[in-house]
Amino acid sequence: MLRRTILKTAAAMALAAATGTTAFAQTNGPVDYVIPFGPGGESDISARLQQPFFKEKFGQDLVISYKPGGGGAVGWASLNGLNSNGQTIMGVNLPHIIIKPAQKDVGFKTEELNTFYMFHYTPDAIVVKADSPYKTLKDLVDDAKANPGQVTMSGSGKASANHLAQIKFDKMTGGKTTYVPFKGTGASTTAMLGGQVKAQWGYSTVGAKQGDAVRMLAVAMEERHPLFPDVPTFKELGYEMVGGAYRGIALPNTASAETTKKWSDMIGEINNDPAFRQKMLDGGFALLDVDSAGMADFMKARTEEYLKDAREAGLIK
Amino acid sequence: MEFGHLISAFTPFNFLLALCGVVAGTVIGSIPGLTATMAVAVLVPITFSMEPASALILLGAIYTGAIYGGAYAAILLNTPGTPSAIATTFDGYPMAKKGDGDLAVAIACYASVVGGMVGALALLFIAPPLSSVALAFGPIEYFWLSVFGLSLIASLSTGNVVKGLVGGAFGMILSTVGVAEISADIRLTFGSQTLISGFGVVGALIGLYCIPVLIDLVATPDRHLKVENEVRSVRITEAGRIAWGSKFNLIRSSIIGTLVGILPGAGGSVAGLVAYSEAKRSAKPHQKFGEGEPDGIMATEASNNATVGGGFIPTLVLGIPGTPPDAVILGALLVQGVRTGPTLFESGGSIVYTFIYGLIIATILMLPTGLLIGRYAYQTIVTIPKAVLVPLVGFMTLIGTFAIRNSVSDVVIMIGLGVFGWLVGRFGFAASPIVLGLILGPIAEQGFVQSWTIGAATNNLSGIFFGRPISQAIVAFTILTLVYPLFTQWRSARAGKISGATDAE
Amino acid sequence: MRSEGKTGSLLISAFFVFAGIVTLWDTQNYTDSDSQVFPQTVSIVLIVCATISLVMTLLKGEEDSGFGDGIWWRRALLIASLLIACFLMPYVGFLLSGIVAFAGGLIAAMHDRWSGKTGLIYGLSGLVVMSAFYALFRYVLLVPLP
Repeated sequence: MLRRTILKTAAAMALAAATGTTAFAQTNGPVDYVIPFGPGGESDISARLQQPFFKEKFGQDLVISYKPGGGGAVGWASLNGLNSNGQTIMGVNLPHIIIKPAQKDVGFKTEELNTFYMFHYTPDAIVVKADSPYKTLKDLVDDAKANPGQVTMSGSGKASANHLAQIKFDKMTGGKTTYVPFKGTGASTTAMLGGQVKAQWGYSTVGAKQGDAVRMLAVAMEERHPLFPDVPTFKELGYEMVGGAYRGIALPNTASAETTKKWSDMIGEINNDPAFRQKMLDGGFALLDVDSAGMADFMKARTEEYLKDAREAGLIK
Repeated sequence: MEFGHLISAFTPFNFLLALCGVVAGTVIGSIPGLTATMAVAVLVPITFSMEPASALILLGAIYTGAIYGGAYAAILLNTPGTPSAIATTFDGYPMAKKGDGDLAVAIACYASVVGGMVGALALLFIAPPLSSVALAFGPIEYFWLSVFGLSLIASLSTGNVVKGLVGGAFGMILSTVGVAEISADIRLTFGSQTLISGFGVVGALIGLYCIPVLIDLVATPDRHLKVENEVRSVRITEAGRIAWGSKFNLIRSSIIGTLVGILPGAGGSVAGLVAYSEAKRSAKPHQKFGEGEPDGIMATEASNNATVGGGFIPTLVLGIPGTPPDAVILGALLVQGVRTGPTLFESGGSIVYTFIYGLIIATILMLPTGLLIGRYAYQTIVTIPKAVLVPLVGFMTLIGTFAIRNSVSDVVIMIGLGVFGWLVGRFGFAASPIVLGLILGPIAEQGFVQSWTIGAATNNLSGIFFGRPISQAIVAFTILTLVYPLFTQWRSARAGKISGATDAE
Repeated sequence: MRSEGKTGSLLISAFFVFAGIVTLWDTQNYTDSDSQVFPQTVSIVLIVCATISLVMTLLKGEEDSGFGDGIWWRRALLIASLLIACFLMPYVGFLLSGIVAFAGGLIAAMHDRWSGKTGLIYGLSGLVVMSAFYALFRYVLLVPLP
């Protein structure tokens, strides 16, 4: 009896070791996944969604920790000093990593960050309360033209995706809205729901979270989001706006090309899992697949676009 | 309110989870630097393999335990274990110094259980209507709330109000260092990369409160806390009697805590400060707040534990996290596939009610475990020789501060602030006003800038700042808090004159 | 002790006035008026209050505060050992630098007579507790300690 138990245990251990080695070929022990913001934001939630899939596919824990401060700058400034053996990765966000270094010296430069995968973006969206008088985007634009400055819109922070979108949109419509910055999307949503502002420059994720309590007037995507078949895109309504806040993951820039490639493949594998895609879509995210090979081109295009917008908006010189 | 949910919450497994959660939370919360947010964040992956309700019970139990655990370090080491316990130091440490540390810990436990229960019951019975409080609070209300919190400086700085105001203003300036939270400027860093991260509240708390205590401890051979050599097991009933005698304070503080917990922009530290301020204002003449008054501990601890239940109200009803740990729990729920928000209470009802009952069970479990752990914590701190206690606490400040953001420069800043706090503290500039400024500064700034932007855009500045009923009420309370002590002073002075009693000084 | 209290209060008040002026000067460089309003207001409050405090201290003439009768080298040793630990941390790891801090603190806080036995017991118990906490943070809470 005892012998059998021992045998069984040994077999189980051998099996564990065998499966273990395949996993260990990928990573060696738990991986530290640093989010340079506090908990509860879109960066945190999308990382949390990746967490169980990583464990399932590669057998290792993805340990999420927060390193907030300076609108992400504290985390990114420390990234290249971290261990480059592939056990530490960090979330990166656009337009933050482009705009911040262009404004002032924040301890890192855009091109110094070794971003290896961009896995999703949250499309810009104009969100209003369910009982708002703005039934369509046209209502809001008309009001902004008729009463310049009176239409207050909340958003997350200044020189952020929301702020750039607001400036760009005002320029397109010729109307004038007032941007009220809040600390994070959660706070800006609360202000919109509480009627402190008339509308919100948010993301499609706000619509997914708040459901019937809000109405989205338009989303900045090429095509309609599968979760909101009734919400038009800005393009449909005649405004050339596609974009939002992009999120990816980076390694320290001392990491080998091999490690970078390996990580790019791993995150790509998670991103191609249908169950993961479904969860992301349910959360209102829009998926993106820019791997390490395509990163340089992607970043170049984005950088040009964001810097142009920010310069026109007077946010950078 | 079906009892089926109560029964499903009561499975042995869930019960065990609640127990483990409370114990783990209490221990983690008692370590300065380890906050409830971090405790919850670390344990989220464990809950992925559980039923959503069980996962929620575990996370809620850890959260509630951690908020209570923060009181230990506040009472025994003058260092709030979590920011929620700041106001616990005001009276907890003086009590411990007088030799009543065990009594203070027991009182804190009773108060935390009462506060936790009030918060949880509010969540159970009146969550949907109460959630509207979160939405009614706009930028201007937050601004006035922070001003109300700052008014506590005046009553805190016994002796020298001007020095208190200097500290408060300096704390607010410290809070602006680094990248501005909502605007896009970098302030007061003087080109230093280290200062870009700014002064984190948790690190500053450790530095400003703990380091001065350590510096004073090594300088003289006196014992850390006064102890009397007698058996202290009877103090649990004594504490119970004191708590019963202050039931009105407990309930009022719990309600304040629940309401402040609902506000997404505030949190446990603000709740504790507001409740402390109210308790102090309505104090009886013989009560000396700031010198070891049990009511001060009770007000803070009842209110900060009430924020647990209160914070879950907007989290579950609106999908807006009330406090940072709620934000982590909200993320965990999303991964579990539970949609929070307006429909949760109807569609996902069973999970919600199982969770709330779980939270209530965890709160009740906090009574025996809290008293037990508290007693051991007290005995350990008292019996350890000072020569070992000081370096150990020193080590804890290092590891705790490092763990906040995994940053060595945070630790150096913490020590620097500590030395600075000790230096100015020796000349009458106390640490608490600086901390108040540091915590309330950002709330005041954001509320002010947002209100100003909205008011200027709609040509209605005075209406925004003074025209809204909730702000008017907060302003009234602020004036009352500032004027009331002067009034009682004046009245007692007049009464003294009439009776002809003379008193030197 | 009285004059020490007065001088200290004066110096610290002067420092706070200076801090207010520096803040005011720093706000000149901000690009966004939203980030100027608050620090400007607060620094003016700080300058005013600190000046009042300065004048009051001058007029009052005496103050009951000061450093007290503590032993200076002990205070200095405690802080120095904590700081040294910070600078060692990236090179020798957390536990080793923690031991340095512990040793410094132990010597600073030891007012009784040393004996071989107490030294050993104190050192060992400190080592055990520190290792336990190191393990808790490193392996249970997964804090990446150096």
